[in-house]
Amino acid sequence: MIWKTAWKNVWRNKIRSLVVIISVTIGIFGGVFAVAIMNGAIEQRVDAALNEEIAHIQINDPGFRDNYDIQLLVNNPVEVIDTILETPGVEAVSSRLVLTGMANTAASSTGVQILGIDPEAEKRVLQLYKTTIPGTGDFFEHESRHNLAYVGHALAKELKIVRYRIDKDVLDSLAARGVPAEVMDKLALFTGIRFKSEKSFKKAVKKVLSAKEQHDYGTAIREEAWSFRKRSKMTLTFLDSQQMQTGAVFRIAGIYDIKNTMYEMSQVLVKKEDLAVLANLDPDACHQLYIRIDDLENTEEVAGALAKKLPGLEVMHWKEIQPDLAMMTEMVQKFYAIFMVIILAALAFGIVNTMLMVVLERTKELGMLTAIGMNKKRVFNMIMLESVFLSLVGGVAGMLVSQLLIAATAKNGINFANYAEGLEAMGYPAHIYPVISTSFFVIVVMLIIITGILSSIYPAMKALKLDPAEALRTE
Amino acid sequence: MKVLEIKNVHKVYNSSEVKVHAVNDISLDFNKGEFAAIVGPSGSGKTTLLNMIGGLDKPSSGVILVDNTNLAELKSSGLIDFRMRNIGFVFQSYNLIPVLTAKENVEFIMGLQNRSRKEREERTRELLKAVGLEDRINSKPSKLSGGQQQRVAVARALASKPKFVLADEPTANLDSKSTETLLDIMEQLNREEGITFIFSTHDARVVKKARRVITIEDGKVISDERKH
Repeated sequence: MIWKTAWKNVWRNKIRSLVVIISVTIGIFGGVFAVAIMNGAIEQRVDAALNEEIAHIQINDPGFRDNYDIQLLVNNPVEVIDTILETPGVEAVSSRLVLTGMANTAASSTGVQILGIDPEAEKRVLQLYKTTIPGTGDFFEHESRHNLAYVGHALAKELKIVRYRIDKDVLDSLAARGVPAEVMDKLALFTGIRFKSEKSFKKAVKKVLSAKEQHDYGTAIREEAWSFRKRSKMTLTFLDSQQMQTGAVFRIAGIYDIKNTMYEMSQVLVKKEDLAVLANLDPDACHQLYIRIDDLENTEEVAGALAKKLPGLEVMHWKEIQPDLAMMTEMVQKFYAIFMVIILAALAFGIVNTMLMVVLERTKELGMLTAIGMNKKRVFNMIMLESVFLSLVGGVAGMLVSQLLIAATAKNGINFANYAEGLEAMGYPAHIYPVISTSFFVIVVMLIIITGILSSIYPAMKALKLDPAEALRTE
Repeated sequence: MKVLEIKNVHKVYNSSEVKVHAVNDISLDFNKGEFAAIVGPSGSGKTTLLNMIGGLDKPSSGVILVDNTNLAELKSSGLIDFRMRNIGFVFQSYNLIPVLTAKENVEFIMGLQNRSRKEREERTRELLKAVGLEDRINSKPSKLSGGQQQRVAVARALASKPKFVLADEPTANLDSKSTETLLDIMEQLNREEGITFIFSTHDARVVKKARRVITIEDGKVISDERKH
């Protein structure tokens, strides 16, 4: 009875209620969608870290992580791998050699970690191979060829194995991206010229384009104009197991792009068999074992079971390897809640104002209701329910709009290309797919209800103070 | 059987300078089934008296007993509950809930009394039929005439099966035809359901119908006549 009356009362003054509802809708939509974008970025980051970079669990000699000493190998690797694969929850394992060295090309050199991997096993544990830039090579498919290397996009640029050129294809795809004709005409001057570095290309472009044109289209132009020089070579040098300087020329057979500059700069993959020979190690030797498990929920349990079975080795799960990721996911949950509370606090003032008008306007009716026997608790509940309905209708509408927009952007994501450089330097994707967890929706609904209740208290107290005999006399 | 006893009731309003003796030593008894009008010019104290009988206002001194319950002994929450169970109200300006239909307005108090849905619906239909509005059951107050609204109000007052119904100038806003219909309906319900009606009025048509007429002036009863 009270519920029904309260619901009908919400629609007594339609315009006024709609104004409040729309403000709640916009507020909730803004908050939820902003959270969805942040959440999406973080989930993608975690997902990328687990699937492309660090896997779920890593096992190595307890001292290995301190200084990546080449001598600190996993003892009896074959038995250890068997033991790991027998452990329930483990899906796949990949053994790695990890050496610290230098990557050199004629143009540049930089310090890197050289990872010796077995492509087949690696593909079962990590999906780095899926991020290979099309046309840059087929590192993971070559069974027989030796001394192939798989490098990151950022490193490839650093080592200057990229080139920039403007040709018809580039101009066509720029036209498709909405670059205006006058800019294209200026760019057409460069047709046929090869630029060996990003710097020289930028410099050339700067000469012909205005500052505004560079700002608007610079990123797009650079994205379309670069390509990798095929069949590039680089030298990897490192110390072998006898601490002797060694090295070899590797042909680049694939460039991966995981939108994480730091990782791309430092991790070079080569075949384990090649690296073992060069480093004077046994073909089965390995420094680290990367493990994929079938359910992330069981991370701690599986890691615990492995630690028990392999007492001489250090077993670490992803939350221990990258505590920042685990902390981030937990911290942002709190941050989201605070964010929503601030938005709702602002909305609450609007609701309080409306509910005060409701009470004032209905003085006589409230007096009548008390006169005929509606007790204070019920009057309070009725006002409170009206306020909760107001906020809840707006809130649910806001969440529906957010959900629709999340669904609409689920396929193509939102491109923050202008900030790509900065985001990718921190390991975050520039192309974000907003997501919201069900638990967040539940929390928001609860917060909205609490807002409705809290903002009804003051107006409802006013209603309770009414003297029925006096209220009935008002016109 | 007495449903209402008023003993030496006074009501004094202390405004800043003058003391207003709105009700001055009134004593009255009402029996079950009475159809009584309290008559007097405006300012005579009839609304004040009615408010005190209905527990909306407290006497300065004196005792009001409803079915042997002393209203002064009830706390404010108990008083609201008491009103819900024992007293039906009809107001001059109808005071229906505008967002609810005729049926929902009548049902409202029964809802507060936690009666079952079946009982509520039966009684509502019965009462709306009694007041001649069975075909307007789903109309909102804004779609009803003043007379019809007041009939819904009478049905609402009776829905809770009160000990008595208090009506403060129920016909003041009605034309003569509506007044007559309303009075006939109230009288019929009074006879059929045996419910006591007490109304304040200065409407001669109401006075004519009443079986007991109490005249008040300056807060005092100056006559108390019973007809028939």
